[in-house]
Amino acid sequence: MFSYPVMLADKILRGTEKLNGTQIVSMTIIGILVVFFALLLLVMFLYCSGSIFKKAAKGTKKDAPKKEAPKTATPKAPAPAAKAAVPKAAALASAAEDDAEVIAVIMAAISAMGAAEGKQYQLRSVRQVTRGGSGRSVWAQAGVLDATRPF
Amino acid sequence: MGGVLDFFTNTLGGLWSDSGIRALFAEGGWKNLIMILVSFVFMYLAIAKGFEPLLLLPISFGMLLTNLPMAGLYHPDLWVLVDGHVNYGEVLKEGGLLDILYLGVKLQIYPPLIFLGIGCMTDFSPLIANPKSFLLGAAAQGGIFFTFVVAGLLGFTAAEAGSIAIIGGADGPTAIYVSTRLLTGDGAITTGNIALAAYTYMALVPIIQPPIMKALTTKKERQVKMEQLRTVSKTEKIIFPIAVTIIVSLLVPSAAPLVGMLMFGNLLKESGVAARLIDTAQNALMNIITIFLGVSVGATTKADQIINIKFGGVMLLGVVAFSLGTACGLMFGKIMYKVTGGKVNPLIGSAGVSAVPMAARISQKVGAETDPTNFLLMHAMGPNVAGVIGSAVAAGVLLSVIG
Repeated sequence: MFSYPVMLADKILRGTEKLNGTQIVSMTIIGILVVFFALLLLVMFLYCSGSIFKKAAKGTKKDAPKKEAPKTATPKAPAPAAKAAVPKAAALASAAEDDAEVIAVIMAAISAMGAAEGKQYQLRSVRQVTRGGSGRSVWAQAGVLDATRPF
Repeated sequence: MGGVLDFFTNTLGGLWSDSGIRALFAEGGWKNLIMILVSFVFMYLAIAKGFEPLLLLPISFGMLLTNLPMAGLYHPDLWVLVDGHVNYGEVLKEGGLLDILYLGVKLQIYPPLIFLGIGCMTDFSPLIANPKSFLLGAAAQGGIFFTFVVAGLLGFTAAEAGSIAIIGGADGPTAIYVSTRLLTGDGAITTGNIALAAYTYMALVPIIQPPIMKALTTKKERQVKMEQLRTVSKTEKIIFPIAVTIIVSLLVPSAAPLVGMLMFGNLLKESGVAARLIDTAQNALMNIITIFLGVSVGATTKADQIINIKFGGVMLLGVVAFSLGTACGLMFGKIMYKVTGGKVNPLIGSAGVSAVPMAARISQKVGAETDPTNFLLMHAMGPNVAGVIGSAVAAGVLLSVIG
């Protein structure tokens, strides 16, 4: 065990002394290098452990049984090739039904709101909009805005 | 009748000579009066302006208490080293309330315990998901070492230069930890001076950083939208604090108390099995330590040690340290912007100075000013928490070299 005075005697710079140019430059270079080296070691560790965990996650996904294809295609699904014309039509019809149901439910909610206010609302059209540059959906955008607004 | 009158006047005279009012108007009493007024200013900043109130309020009240003449709450002369040691027996025997509380500062107990609470509250996921952030956290520590150069050239001693430089780490507990270890207590600069400068500038981060950020980055750079961070698994989050403790402590043992406790707190959080301990560490314990730390550090701001030219130097170099740290982080961010072909927004570099989470909020705010749909907060949290580890490592380096 080192006692405190022994540790003090081992220090390179005495705290009470003024610094000369060599000491200042050496201390600065060594300090920056040590901090970078320590954090670089941590970066390397994180990259190594990260790649192991990513591989492990991929392995788990491969091993997992493939899920059945969804019964209905989402509105954004790309159109299949002409050969699959019949399933495509069925999928689109099903998707259209789903969309209509969702729109009906939303309209019902708006009507209920209107009834409470004594007003009537009418749904004129539902238009598809392209996303902004953020790559987030409108709801995700609203969520992020809500979470970061205090800052 | 004459005896009664004599007794009456003698008692009154004794009370007057022991009173603080007389001492205030005695030789040098004006310095105490000024310090009391300064404490009012800090109280105003904490209460009315909300500048770091949890620490600035206890510090300013400690400043008030210590500068009330004759109150005897704190005795700087008890803390002067004799043959390289503090006479702790004398402190326990003669010390006032704030002397006893100051033991926790002098023995370096409070700052690591504060780090324990901070560890419980910190989410390192943005850093684990984007390890490059560590480099930004390291770069921002350049503020510490470049300020060391300036302080050294201005004629400060090694201990003073190291204590002033650590202000650039923008981390209150680290600054207190380093300055308590380095400063002997008989010089013109005390831990209180360093803490005051550090917390003042930490509160002023929203004013200091944005102009530097805007001056050093182009609009195109500020508009960069960064890729969404990957999800980090629970196992990774558990391994992280253990690995950081081992790697940092082996490399820079002097940083072990700070980094070790920070990571211990984080392990408690991420393990998910110690809810009661986390609750205590991040609430009750941290609040108690914050009160003790604040009020006892405030007590070290005795008039003689504040009203001098060197404290002016500390305040001036403190802002230099903060600005240099911000600039170093930004410049490294710009390098990463170039290297990655424009995938990294340099604004997150300024969050590399610790000041969690304020510095990350500033990155978010300045980024959103340029493009309201740009959300840098999570990306900036990576360098921000890396800065805490970085400044603890930098502190370890200073403590290892300067004695």
